[in-house]
Amino acid sequence: MLPPFALERPDRLEDALALIGDDCLPYCGGTELLMAMKLNVLRPSCLVDLKGIAALARVEWRGDSLVIGGAVRHASLAADAEISRSLAVLTVVEQRVGNARVRTQGSIGGNLCFAEPRSDVATLLAALGASITLASSTGQRRIAITDFVLGAYETVREPTELLVEVLVPSARLKSGVYLKHQYAERPTVGVALVREGENGVWRLAVGAVGDVPIVIEVSSLDEIDAEAVADMTDPIEDISGGVDYKQHLVAVYVRRAVQAAAEDLGA
Amino acid sequence: MTTTAIAITCTVNGVKVERTVEVRRTLAQFLREDLSLTGTKVSCDVQICGACTVLVDGQPVSSCTHLAVDVDRSAVTTVEGLASEGRLHPLQQAFVEQMALQCGFCTPGFLMMAKALLDENPDPSREQIIEYLDGNLCRCTGYAPIVAAVEQAARVLGPAGGDSNA
Repeated sequence: MLPPFALERPDRLEDALALIGDDCLPYCGGTELLMAMKLNVLRPSCLVDLKGIAALARVEWRGDSLVIGGAVRHASLAADAEISRSLAVLTVVEQRVGNARVRTQGSIGGNLCFAEPRSDVATLLAALGASITLASSTGQRRIAITDFVLGAYETVREPTELLVEVLVPSARLKSGVYLKHQYAERPTVGVALVREGENGVWRLAVGAVGDVPIVIEVSSLDEIDAEAVADMTDPIEDISGGVDYKQHLVAVYVRRAVQAAAEDLGA
Repeated sequence: MTTTAIAITCTVNGVKVERTVEVRRTLAQFLREDLSLTGTKVSCDVQICGACTVLVDGQPVSSCTHLAVDVDRSAVTTVEGLASEGRLHPLQQAFVEQMALQCGFCTPGFLMMAKALLDENPDPSREQIIEYLDGNLCRCTGYAPIVAAVEQAARVLGPAGGDSNA
């Protein structure tokens, strides 16, 4: 049973921003929020439904860059033909976020703001060098995804701020692979390896094992030492494994990602 | 306008429903308690197990963590909507023939998830079936008969997929 709350359903972004605060939380798919409310982790007096705000539901290309509204659902991204053509690695990730029910309901903004350490999307976006825009009734700011997530379930977002868009700069010029080890609804290890254009640098992100993804930049795949990357991680011990096991998995999946990148991307 | 109850209009298994619903009411509560459609089961209540899966506008959702007011102007399909004219849906028939259930508590969720899969992909590989259903938990049958049942239903339904009740 959910605790009592009031529901606001603005259709303009500015109306939503005027409402959001400590006790009045943004609500879209509810996949994390409603669960937290059922478990009494959160007890807001009011939810602000974002699903009626057209500005948050858009996926658009600005030149080579991809801009995704905060309320866009995983299922929409997974089915987006232009994303599949121009940034296939995002399609690969979105097609396997959680399960089909999570993808139907859950939004990219909710996923990032909840800052679940095992977010596939956050790991890929870190490798893509993405940033997010936070808006409030007094202004907005853009922050690199790697600076946005501070730790498990913790971001720099103020209670009055809303994640309005995700920006993947030069998305059309990037290509990458994403591999994960997963036996339940969330990955134990996720590894994203992205190339910045034909002769660009490679960015490796290892997520899910620790509180936040680690990101490494190299100029060639040969520079990636899987064992050294595994040593850099600070795994959370939980039901899916201990530190040694997770570091072992990191090394295995980094090696596989390097091999896949070499084969699939002709590196 | 701040509100704690909202008037909604939706269709449930093709029947038009108009109700005023408290905003904190989940879709599962709405279906089971307000509409007496108790085929939809609630088990974990935190959208891990898939028992409460129903379709909203053809897409699978966890009705235990979906607000009932969010189905306003939508079409909801529950397990009660699968059979037609006294005949089991091919998925239901396949679950019986493959003995893909024991206690049956998880079965409505598996059926609705499988329906969503076959509507989207009428000819899934075994691997695709396993991946699509991996968010649904069964604690008595084991998963092999369930996967076999979905494979059988896909064969029976043919290219029309789960959209057909034939």
